[in-house]
Amino acid sequence: MKSSNWGFFLREAVKNLRLNMLMSFTAITTTAVCVTILGVALLVSAHIQGIIRNVGQDVTISAFFPENASQETIDGILSSVQGYPEVSESTYVSKEEALERWKETFSDQPDIASGIGSDVLPASIELQLNDPRDSGAVAEKLRSEGFEEGDLNYPQRTIDNLNWYTGYMVWALRVATLLFLIASILLISNAIRLSIFARRKEIEVMKLVGASDTFVRTPFVLEGLVQGLLGASLAAVVVVWANSLFVDWAQSYLFSVSSESVNAFGLMLILIAVGVLIGVAGSYFSVRRFLKV
Amino acid sequence: MIYFDNVTKVYGRDAVALENVNLGIEAGEFVFLVGASGSGKSTMMRLILKELEPSSGTISVNGVKLGAIPRRYVPKHRRNLGCVFQDYKLLPNKTAAENVAYAMEVTGQKRRAIRTKVPQILDLVGLKDKLDAFPGQLSGGEQQRVSIARAFVSQPPILIADEPTGNLDPDTSVGIMQLLHRINRIGTTVLVATHDREMVDVMRKRVVALEAGRVVRDKVRGGYANEV
Repeated sequence: MKSSNWGFFLREAVKNLRLNMLMSFTAITTTAVCVTILGVALLVSAHIQGIIRNVGQDVTISAFFPENASQETIDGILSSVQGYPEVSESTYVSKEEALERWKETFSDQPDIASGIGSDVLPASIELQLNDPRDSGAVAEKLRSEGFEEGDLNYPQRTIDNLNWYTGYMVWALRVATLLFLIASILLISNAIRLSIFARRKEIEVMKLVGASDTFVRTPFVLEGLVQGLLGASLAAVVVVWANSLFVDWAQSYLFSVSSESVNAFGLMLILIAVGVLIGVAGSYFSVRRFLKV
Repeated sequence: MIYFDNVTKVYGRDAVALENVNLGIEAGEFVFLVGASGSGKSTMMRLILKELEPSSGTISVNGVKLGAIPRRYVPKHRRNLGCVFQDYKLLPNKTAAENVAYAMEVTGQKRRAIRTKVPQILDLVGLKDKLDAFPGQLSGGEQQRVSIARAFVSQPPILIADEPTGNLDPDTSVGIMQLLHRINRIGTTVLVATHDREMVDVMRKRVVALEAGRVVRDKVRGGYANEV
């Protein structure tokens, strides 16, 4: 193809977009809506995985020392716990610190906060695990150090359930996203096909005057590209904006939602790439059907 | 220039459009192809354009056997043929000038060449003042002139016209035929399919008559009907 043709193709594409405003508008809107839904699916997926990651990191085992535990026993246990390979971090919480935390937690309810003395709350160690799945094994070790089952606080059951759910949830989300993607491709290419169908006579005439397939097709493909770009950019802006609103809202209520779960720039790039790709491919294949003159 | 050698075209299973047609048209000729609707005129036109393939037989145009042209090179073949249609087939979103220019852009000609050539050719067909008019703003005769200008702008060796006056009144038709005649006089081979009896009788050109897909008459300086 001659490079001098590109000016012509570009002028043709822009002119056609303007002349077929209604059809372009339909294609752009369809793209915007589909890509937005796709973006939301990706967002939900990213946030749920983020939450799971955060909850997983938060998994802590607390072991409470008996009332009469001597400082020696405590020191001994602390040093042996630090040797556990499953443990990434261990913290000793003294009675005084436990009281501090209690007061902090109930700072807006002074009756509860001031009602107890430092002797009531037991001292404890808090262990952060490298892998939440190790909590059972670690609990077992702690029992052999002399802790009673009742002195251990480890959400093994929750974690088991969480692992089970996560597996399913991640797969369900992947499938849902894939379905949204397929639906988007079908809807968008259908909108584009409609707009090209309306102009099939023009394509026939172009072919009869001696235009090559490429010559006829290129302006249409450029149109598809512009439509995909506009629709998807709109969607990307909406999705990223909605995400920041959601994160702000969720952080004031919910636990582990973080803005780090979503790479906003990467998400925008993905969405725009998807829109452009579908726009280009959709118009390429739609025109092809009418080129056989 | 255009040769049909034992050409048969059957649509679907048993709708015979052309049957064993043999016809030779030499360079510089002006030929009328006449016959009732359904006699196979348009089929012959579309075969020449390689819009259709014959069921059997060979067609050669400009010294090239059409059956041997791969799909990819069909556009190149069509650039050697100017075509004019009954329904003009102009691009509705382009002005008269842009429609003519499109035929030049297709062949990759320079913008400067296009800009000088297009007004010249539209002047030639008598549309000097309608360069920027869209097809919808032109009369039937004017649209057909644009279509002829488009067909002729690249000066193809052959010009084929399928019922070019089919939608036009007699006076306008005369103008269109004169235009085709002028194009023929400068050396272009012209093939016109028509059932415009008066026109054919007046022009006294070679007449090939089709009836139910067969050539029933081929006469130099003939008329529309069989003459004694």
